[in-house]
Amino acid sequence: EAEALLKWKASLPINTQTLLSSLWGGSNHCNWTGITCNNAGSITKVILGEYELKLRGTLHNLNFFYFPNLIWLQLRNNSLYGSIPSNIGNLSNLKFLDLSYNNFSGNIPLEIGLLKSLSLISLGDNSLSGSIPREIRKLSTISYIYFMRNNLTGPIPIEILNLTKLHDLDLSQNNISGSIPSDIGRLSSLSILFLNQNHLTGTIPISIGDLQNLSQFVLVDNRLNGSIPKEIGMVTSLRLLDLSNNHLSGPIPTCIGNLSNMKWLYLWSNNLSGSIPNEIGMLKSLLAFQLANNNLTGVIPHSIGNLTNLDNLVLNFNGLSGSIPSEIGMLKSLFDLQLSDNNLTGVIPDSIGNLTNLGNLVLHFNGLSGSIPTSMGNLNKLSILEICENSLSGLVPQTLNNLTHLRILDLSHNHLSGSLPENVCLGGLLTRIAAIKNNLTGLIPSSLRNCTSLYRVRLEGNHLTANISEAFGIYPNLNFISLSNNIFGELSSNWGQCHNLTSLKITNNNISGKIPFQLGLATQLQELDLSSNHLNGELPKELGKLTMVSRLYLSDNQFSGKIPLEIGLLSKLEQLDLALNNLSGPIPDDLGNCFKLFNLNLSKNNLEESIPSSISYINALQSLDLSQNSLIGGIPQQFGKLQSLEVLNLSHNMLNGSIPEAFNKLRGLRFVNISFNQFEGPIPNLKAFHEASFDALRNNKGLCGNATGLMACVPSFLANHGHGKRTKVIISVMLPLFGGLLLLFLLVGSFFTFYKKTQTKESEPREEQQGDIFTVLGFNGRVLHDNIIEATEDFSSDYCIGSGGYGSVYKAALPTGQVVAVKKLYRSEDNIHINNLKAFESEVMALLEIRHRNIVQM
Amino acid sequence: MAPLSVISLSLCFLLPLLSPAISTNSEGNALHALRRRLSDPTNVLQSWDPTLVNPCTWFHVTCDSNNHVIRLDLGNSNISGTLGPELAQLRHLQELYKNDISGEIPKDLGNLKNLVGLDLYGNRFEGEIPKSFSGLKSLRFLRLNNNNLTGSIPRELTALSNLKVFDVSNNDLCGTIPVDGPFGMFSMPSYANNMRLNGPELKGLVPYNFGC
Repeated sequence: EAEALLKWKASLPINTQTLLSSLWGGSNHCNWTGITCNNAGSITKVILGEYELKLRGTLHNLNFFYFPNLIWLQLRNNSLYGSIPSNIGNLSNLKFLDLSYNNFSGNIPLEIGLLKSLSLISLGDNSLSGSIPREIRKLSTISYIYFMRNNLTGPIPIEILNLTKLHDLDLSQNNISGSIPSDIGRLSSLSILFLNQNHLTGTIPISIGDLQNLSQFVLVDNRLNGSIPKEIGMVTSLRLLDLSNNHLSGPIPTCIGNLSNMKWLYLWSNNLSGSIPNEIGMLKSLLAFQLANNNLTGVIPHSIGNLTNLDNLVLNFNGLSGSIPSEIGMLKSLFDLQLSDNNLTGVIPDSIGNLTNLGNLVLHFNGLSGSIPTSMGNLNKLSILEICENSLSGLVPQTLNNLTHLRILDLSHNHLSGSLPENVCLGGLLTRIAAIKNNLTGLIPSSLRNCTSLYRVRLEGNHLTANISEAFGIYPNLNFISLSNNIFGELSSNWGQCHNLTSLKITNNNISGKIPFQLGLATQLQELDLSSNHLNGELPKELGKLTMVSRLYLSDNQFSGKIPLEIGLLSKLEQLDLALNNLSGPIPDDLGNCFKLFNLNLSKNNLEESIPSSISYINALQSLDLSQNSLIGGIPQQFGKLQSLEVLNLSHNMLNGSIPEAFNKLRGLRFVNISFNQFEGPIPNLKAFHEASFDALRNNKGLCGNATGLMACVPSFLANHGHGKRTKVIISVMLPLFGGLLLLFLLVGSFFTFYKKTQTKESEPREEQQGDIFTVLGFNGRVLHDNIIEATEDFSSDYCIGSGGYGSVYKAALPTGQVVAVKKLYRSEDNIHINNLKAFESEVMALLEIRHRNIVQM
Repeated sequence: MAPLSVISLSLCFLLPLLSPAISTNSEGNALHALRRRLSDPTNVLQSWDPTLVNPCTWFHVTCDSNNHVIRLDLGNSNISGTLGPELAQLRHLQELYKNDISGEIPKDLGNLKNLVGLDLYGNRFEGEIPKSFSGLKSLRFLRLNNNNLTGSIPRELTALSNLKVFDVSNNDLCGTIPVDGPFGMFSMPSYANNMRLNGPELKGLVPYNFGC
């Protein structure tokens, strides 16, 4: 036996060998660490899992044949790898096999079935794969099977039902599929059944009711469906039941009230419906009750007050209605109370103040009304208080000043008045505070000034007041802050030292002074919104350092001077709003570098010079407002490149010239205003212009075209024809010769091959055009063309029998008696010639391949 | 922006129909589900915190005044991965262009009745253009160019009466080019570099998917 152990040792990596050599000194192997012998000196136990040895290597050179008396093999918590050798089957007296917490891989060997004396097998926390071998049925004395946290696949073998002594079965966190064997009730000794985090399907078998010793039953994270069998009520030994995160439907069976030993009941994230049974109040031992994310309706039963040991009650994301029962105040042990996202109404019961152990109170997204009970001030262990999105009103009770250990306070979207508790960050733990859209007044809590734990602050939509330069300090963790109304004072350079700040929003306030150039140090900023304040001075060029910024809103202030060129460094900018300031000078050419901009508003300033053509290269641009400035010159020709443009306002400038022809490409345009400029000439052929109101086009020098209030244009080359009624998008312009040849070709084909041959025949008299004109030899293009013109009366609409996007089809009765269909191609006005040719060639290529009884084959 | 608020109004009515469990932040959940699909080496999506009440403070997401997502701007962001059906919960989705997104374009996107622009160009999308896109009744911009799309241009798209800008160039599409509806006005560059795409449709004469 010693020799076999030494031989194994020699096969291991050198570090492990050294380690084992230090443990296995001396000649008597029975004295070696981890080795136990019987009186005869034969090894009965190998226990190498208790010493944090982290042995490395495989078992391939450990010959189990030499250990006939081994009862106990425990190698857990090492770093052994490779497969479990099949000769392990030689250990016929083995009772305890524990190889857990290693890196074993491969299948569980079939020879495991030879271990007839086995009582415990633990292979958990390895990387074993394959399915559980059916040979497991031979382990008739087995009581404990732990295969959790491997990569086992396949079903639970039905043979497992033979193991009537089975006490614990843990197959959790594998990839086991199939259903739970319907006869699982035969495992009458079963106490622990963990099948969680697998891919089990089907229903929970009703035979579960036969498992009279079952104490812990965990099926969380599978794909089980059907309802919870009422037979579960017979398993009175149950202490833990977790059926969460499956697809279970139907009601919670009322007989669940029989489970008087139950301590932890988890049914969250299923499709359970109906109401919470009143019988739940009978589960006097219950510590945890979690039903979140189901479709439960009805009221929270008053009997819940009997659950005086309850530590957590999590019922959020259901359709529960009615009010919060005042009996909730009897749950003196409660730490976590979450009733959010339901339809609860009525007041928050005063008795909530009795829950002095409460750490989390989450009631948001309900219809709770009335005021916040002053008794809430008793909850001095409260860490999370979220009561946003209700209809709470009245004053914020000053007793909340006792809540000095808050980490999260969210009062948003209620009708609360009064002031925020002054001491909200006295304990220095506050990370999030939000009170969006209430009627709060008074000062911003002074304890926020040195509240360095702050991560997210949202106080907008109130009437809070403060001198911003005094109320706030430096916040190393701050990510987001949004304030509005009545804040005054100047922006401090401290904001630049909030190095994790991504959003700084101080809008609709009375802050004044300049933007401190130190703000450029807040390089994580992605959003800077200082709109609607009284800021003045020039925009600091240090804004160019904020290269992460995607939203920059500085509108409605008194900024003056030029737009800094450095704005062009903000290549991630998506929205830029500098409207309603006193900015002057040119629009910087570098703005064209901000290629992600989709909203650009520079209106209502005093910007001068011409519109830089670089703007044309911002191909994301959706809305461009340059109105009410002093811009001069024409619209850049390249504007046709703005292929995402929907809204364009150039009104109230001094722009002149004609609107570039390239505008016709801006097909996505739907709102345009070019009024009060010096434009002249025709408006573009676009719906946005044709349907524009007079106000959008008025007061220009001489615009013309088809729109309200404009004169029609009189283009010189068509002065005699009066073609205004023609369709706008597609105008059928016949190309006399090209088109003529085309239609001949379409009908007859063989254009390319035949054209040359007909050169000599063109002078032949018309009378010869007889018989079948569509034979190659009988073809005379010019004659046929004339015949068609005659037959259709020069393509009169009377003969038109259909039209498509590329041409119209006419019916022509030829002098020969034949009736043919003639297709005349359009030339759309904005296609250049090369495109027509391409379309034409495409038609030719398609025709070449057509097989159709009514088309002549080429 | 006036046109966008019209979109949002029409969608407010949808919300009460959803179960309470998902109505709270269904759009945020949808976007977060998208985030989980995507690889984001430059942390563009870092602000997408699913624990927030809605996604309106997330970056590259634009909401209307009713806190509904109307725009998603992830263009040129080095993201890769696939798109899933969850995006169909959003209304206005644009600018996923120039990334490394692969897989098929989810047909569920056709449910976005208020979608105005869909820019998926410059990615590695494969498979066919979903026929369900005919449901994008408000669509004005559809740019699917520079991907690996195959199959024919679905004729269902001719029902998109608002479509103004269309680009499927640089793909591997086949068949012929539709001529009805908005397709009467798109020029040839919209279709360039699709080796198996034949010319304009010859209605009644050749099957539209001729040569596919």
